[in-house]
Amino acid sequence: MSELTIAMPKGRIFEEAYQMLIDVGFNLPEEVEMSRKLMIEIPEEKIRFILAKPTDVPVYVEHGVADIGIAGKDTLLEQKRNVHELLDLKISQCYIASAGLPNTTMNEIAPRIATKYPNIAMNYYKEIGEQVEIIELNGSIELAPMIGLADRIVDIVSTGRTLKENGLVEYEHITDVSSRLIANPVSYRMKSARIQELVTRLKKFVN
Amino acid sequence: MSLKMFEKPLGMRDTFPVIYEKIETVRQTGRKFLRARGYDFIETPSLEYFDTVGKASAIYDASLFKLVDSQGNTLVLRPDMTTPIARVATSKLLKEKIPLRLAYFANVFRAQQTEGGRPAEFGQMGIEVIGDSTVFADAEVIITAIHLIQSFGIESFKITIGHAGVLNCILKDYTESDEQASTLRKLLVDRNYVGFEEAVETFHLPKTKSDALLQFINEATTFASIEEIEKYVRKNDALEYMQQLIELIKAADLSQYVALDFTLSSHMNYYTGMLFEVFAEGSGFELGNGGRYDGLLHHFGSEVGATGFGIRIDRLLEVLPSKETEDETVAVIFNELEYMKALQIANNLREEGKRVTLQSKNGLINEEAFTKQFGQVVYVSQEDLA
Repeated sequence: MSELTIAMPKGRIFEEAYQMLIDVGFNLPEEVEMSRKLMIEIPEEKIRFILAKPTDVPVYVEHGVADIGIAGKDTLLEQKRNVHELLDLKISQCYIASAGLPNTTMNEIAPRIATKYPNIAMNYYKEIGEQVEIIELNGSIELAPMIGLADRIVDIVSTGRTLKENGLVEYEHITDVSSRLIANPVSYRMKSARIQELVTRLKKFVN
Repeated sequence: MSLKMFEKPLGMRDTFPVIYEKIETVRQTGRKFLRARGYDFIETPSLEYFDTVGKASAIYDASLFKLVDSQGNTLVLRPDMTTPIARVATSKLLKEKIPLRLAYFANVFRAQQTEGGRPAEFGQMGIEVIGDSTVFADAEVIITAIHLIQSFGIESFKITIGHAGVLNCILKDYTESDEQASTLRKLLVDRNYVGFEEAVETFHLPKTKSDALLQFINEATTFASIEEIEKYVRKNDALEYMQQLIELIKAADLSQYVALDFTLSSHMNYYTGMLFEVFAEGSGFELGNGGRYDGLLHHFGSEVGATGFGIRIDRLLEVLPSKETEDETVAVIFNELEYMKALQIANNLREEGKRVTLQSKNGLINEEAFTKQFGQVVYVSQEDLA
């Protein structure tokens, strides 16, 4: 049995996904000490976890240093990396939407869109034929319309509470997002049996 | 110019001596191997017309390096070798000798959008068999690919084979419109299996059809034998072709290197028949690919079949087992007055098959650092004469 390296996003998704692996019968320690560790070895299952920033997971997988990984669909859409998308794990489900101050129309010439997802936003507005100017921000996106930097924001929405608290309303639903199991194309071939077995077990559990 | 002196265009790389030697070894091994199998090497120009080669190439338009010649024609740096070879073959060579067996080792150019460090120019080695439409030509291509990879000492690799005809048949039979079939095909090109399942659900197909598609996508990359695809496909030529191909590979006793993947699909519609990808342990990226591309020859106005493969040299170097082939190096360091004698000594050593560097002592700034690079150092000085 070949060793499998799994890139996991740090934080809440890690815990959910880790629990999922336990639920489908992997022999993993119930408690993992993951305060500062970036790598966890599970010799009994020949599995190694690497803990990465969520948006970096597809990078590790594309380069093949991790065989498989768990990444948000938002990251996959934004980065368009060469990885196989194997399974929708249906965890951390949310969606990407555009939002802005209530009862506002967009600037007619080239409305400004603030977002963490410049590619997703650009593709969306291109598709609906809207000419826009994309402003890339790295956080606190909600600030942009409040302070007049942008007409709309394109961001991830899970409960809508953050929008509400900042006096913003949702305008357009762009796409649904959840965590996906992704694989490196070479690993998918060279470690086919192990990866398929994992997918089958998870698939049964998810559905 | 505002550019810094040492800057290179995005994706362009220098090849330093150590890597150069490795590439040269690969070239020689590959050349010897392919010539022994009756392939003739060919070279085509780096620049081609966009209208001829650029448009027909399987490489995305956004990856092409384009420039304009003095007459205003758009040119491209060749993004692959298959298209130029198809051009040459249909314009000239095909009249002479059919089927043609051609090989190449050349650099191709693909502009990078993603990350700065990825190469935009890289070597490719491959073959094309032009003018043979039989399954034996496809088998020869796959078998040659396997043996070529083995000849580099690589043992852990896999070739996955699919067939555009089989996939098209399945997509056509289980969907209700061409549009649905092409949506699914596009998702397979991106290897988005999740998207495939989602799309199937949104089509609201009759249950038998959607169940078949979902089951197919579940199994299609893990078939242990060709028989397992049969339940999805009407009896057709493509399926029979694949059965024969698998038989031929089995006859060559190479089945262990081959896996089936009927989701394999290309965004170019001239890949009409079988197609395959090559993966090797040690690199996260595909080593190479190949397939039958009769449609490309038709594009150039010829009705003959063509099939071939190419492997990327930069990725091959990553998976190459490291081999220490140290040459015997000698430095001959001389005083000005002893030049004649130094020449003589150097020549004698070279005749013994050694790599000899002739260096005047006065030209050295740091003699110790210089001589450290050599296996042996010979001083030619006055004292030696005495």
